[in-house]
Amino acid sequence: MQSNPLSILIRNPLAGVFFALLVIFVLSSLISPYFLTSYNMSVVARGLAFVGLITIAQSMLMILGELDLSLGVIGGLCGVVAGILMKKLGIHPAAAMGLAILLGAGLGLLNGLLITLLRLHSLVLTIGTAGIFGGANLVLTRGVAITGIPVEVQFLGRGDILGVPVPFVMMLVALVIAAFVLLKTPFGRYMYAIGNNPPAARMLGIRVDRIRLVVFVAAGALAAMAGVLMVARLGTAQPSIGDTWVLAPIAAAVIGGVATTGGVGSPIGAILGAGIIGIIENIIVLFGVSPYWQGIVSGAIVVLAISFDAISRRYMRRDAA
Amino acid sequence: MAYLETSGLGRDFPGVTALNGVDLKIELGRTHILAGENGAGKSTLVKILTGTDQASRGSVRIDGRDPEADPSLYRSIAYVPQELTLFPQMTVAENLFMPFDRTGHGGALVNRRQLMEEAQTYLDRFGIEARPGDLVARISVSDQQLLQIARASTNAHMKVLILDEPTSSLTRVEVERVFKVIRGFLDRDHAVVFISHKMEEVFEIGDDYTVLRNGEKVESGKVADITEADLIRAMSGRHVEMDDHFRPAGPVTDMIMQVRNLSGARFEDVSFDLRRGEILGFAGLVGAGRSEVMQTIFGFLKATGGSVSVEGKPWPLGDTSRSVTAGMLYLSEERKHHGIFPLLSLRENIGLSILPLTVGALGISDRRERSEVQTIIDGYGIRTAGMGKRISNLSGGNQQKAIIGRAMATKPRILIFDEPTKGIDIRTKSEIYRIMKGLAEDGVGVILVSSEINELRRCASRIITMHNGRLTGEFDTEGTDNETLVGAIFGTEAKADAV
Repeated sequence: MQSNPLSILIRNPLAGVFFALLVIFVLSSLISPYFLTSYNMSVVARGLAFVGLITIAQSMLMILGELDLSLGVIGGLCGVVAGILMKKLGIHPAAAMGLAILLGAGLGLLNGLLITLLRLHSLVLTIGTAGIFGGANLVLTRGVAITGIPVEVQFLGRGDILGVPVPFVMMLVALVIAAFVLLKTPFGRYMYAIGNNPPAARMLGIRVDRIRLVVFVAAGALAAMAGVLMVARLGTAQPSIGDTWVLAPIAAAVIGGVATTGGVGSPIGAILGAGIIGIIENIIVLFGVSPYWQGIVSGAIVVLAISFDAISRRYMRRDAA
Repeated sequence: MAYLETSGLGRDFPGVTALNGVDLKIELGRTHILAGENGAGKSTLVKILTGTDQASRGSVRIDGRDPEADPSLYRSIAYVPQELTLFPQMTVAENLFMPFDRTGHGGALVNRRQLMEEAQTYLDRFGIEARPGDLVARISVSDQQLLQIARASTNAHMKVLILDEPTSSLTRVEVERVFKVIRGFLDRDHAVVFISHKMEEVFEIGDDYTVLRNGEKVESGKVADITEADLIRAMSGRHVEMDDHFRPAGPVTDMIMQVRNLSGARFEDVSFDLRRGEILGFAGLVGAGRSEVMQTIFGFLKATGGSVSVEGKPWPLGDTSRSVTAGMLYLSEERKHHGIFPLLSLRENIGLSILPLTVGALGISDRRERSEVQTIIDGYGIRTAGMGKRISNLSGGNQQKAIIGRAMATKPRILIFDEPTKGIDIRTKSEIYRIMKGLAEDGVGVILVSSEINELRRCASRIITMHNGRLTGEFDTEGTDNETLVGAIFGTEAKADAV
């Protein structure tokens, strides 16, 4: 009804999380003189890039009504596999990274096949497969990092394009592709339909299982990409890569308006949510909060953020009903 | 004096007035029919009467007092929604007395034996054919419906019981059980508010009536003083021909679909033909297996044997996607579970089926989607405050029109309607009948599954009856009387009785 630009802006579901991100950004730059420095900005962007890739993957699965707890572990496993392929087996780095991402896609396919063929619950299944993939990581590395990643590979993790960190650029490219697919293509519409009501989607002739499989594969590949880029950034293939990529992306997606029950939200919102978490974690460090307290502080802020979101949603619904 | 009374009741939502100046008087010991088309404001009124929504204007009096000053008064108003809201994986007794503290079974532990014994008295009183320990998922739909009513009456303060289409998924015999329960309430000096779109039921059980139209009260009085035609005119605001039939007029020509010895979940050895130019009706009791047959042909359920051919070519079973691509659509009676995408907008819900029209090189075109969806909204008379509204906020009739409009946009060759008018008002029913007739005359194969014999008689050229998973007969609608059809629906024993 009202169609002035301001009301459209306010009605947009992304407005809330975008506004929150803006406020936190401004507050952070006021609180700490170091926050807005170009060095710190590139630290935040680089950090956001890795979690961001997983967040894109996880938010697509969540929109579909699924959840994959093995994404972080897939990232870690594929990172060390890339390291082993190029350092121990002497395979060309580009081919090694390609194979590692292919492996990620394959592991996603495995998850997807078990879920669609056996009608397993994705959350529970991926707790199991996360254990297997993580175990494989330790078997392969015996817990020891693989060092000496070639310098040209390290550019992918450490380099800049026009002053913007390379991994961040890659994350943005992935985000644009994911957002286009979800919001502008039939495939994306089908994803929302499935997340809303799977039997009704089947009644419309949507190939529910095939779409689930494709998204699991894409999520696995994105996770592997995050792992490989992390290896490039560290210059070593650490077995612990991906350990912190499990819960933060889910929290980021929820903050960004993606429901754990499926069918709503978008990866753009999820990345904005990841941005909020990233900035908060950064400011905690800049502020010199004891590392022992960081978990409590960042966890409490997540709880606050989603509570605030839930309350404002309820308020808006009453308003609109 | 009326026990429950409203005067000048109004409710505004942004941009819409859902209720305006509604006066209502509900007296104890009587059944009050609340009539009106979908979207007339019945649900809004019920929400205000039960205290889950607040009026913008006017007042509610319960037992002569203001419930806003004393919210405990709302406890005397019980509401049984149309949809089943039971806990299927819990027992009958647990369902009856949940939440336990409210029904005197509270405390830290629930006394199972006491719960079961007390449940039995309710089951006896309501004639529910289940044991207190049975899982709700295992008892019949009509028993579930009665259980839902029984649950409302475990509230000791109850004086007024509001039943929202309690019979929409019940057969004639089962409806009688609900009526018996209603009469029991009246004997105890309770009032019953009965919402239904089934005219024969309204006239059988109703004492008083109030008709709402577009949020306003248009008429009220005693049911004995009016005729069916009066009531329909009051609801729709215009004259509706009751004797109209919607059977396709053109000639019945070549074969569209042949089903041979099809078997699957809950049905066996089903064979029939569908021809161009006819509407083929499927009659039977709830649970006779009609929906299962259709869902199996459509590919939603697995077939265990038999075959289907369409226009002479073998039809692939077990794949809904191929069925839709090849031009077959099935519109489920379970609108909520199999039809709509509740969190998506009306636009997105319709948009899902018209993607070939709206996708360009740059993805789905907003502009094209808007205009295509608007065409469907206008063409099917879908009433909404805007295509961006969530479809779950639309009335049932408008949701159904959206689903039909969406289906038609794919230009199907075969369209299966499964109880398309369940919970839908009379005017919209006629619109749906007209759509089906038009389709059949245009050469689309139309199958109509319905539990209402009158609906089948008015629309179907030919009626196939099912009982207990098997076909029991096939009749030309012209020249077949109701007894014959009912006999076939109840299977051979009842048939023998009827002869």
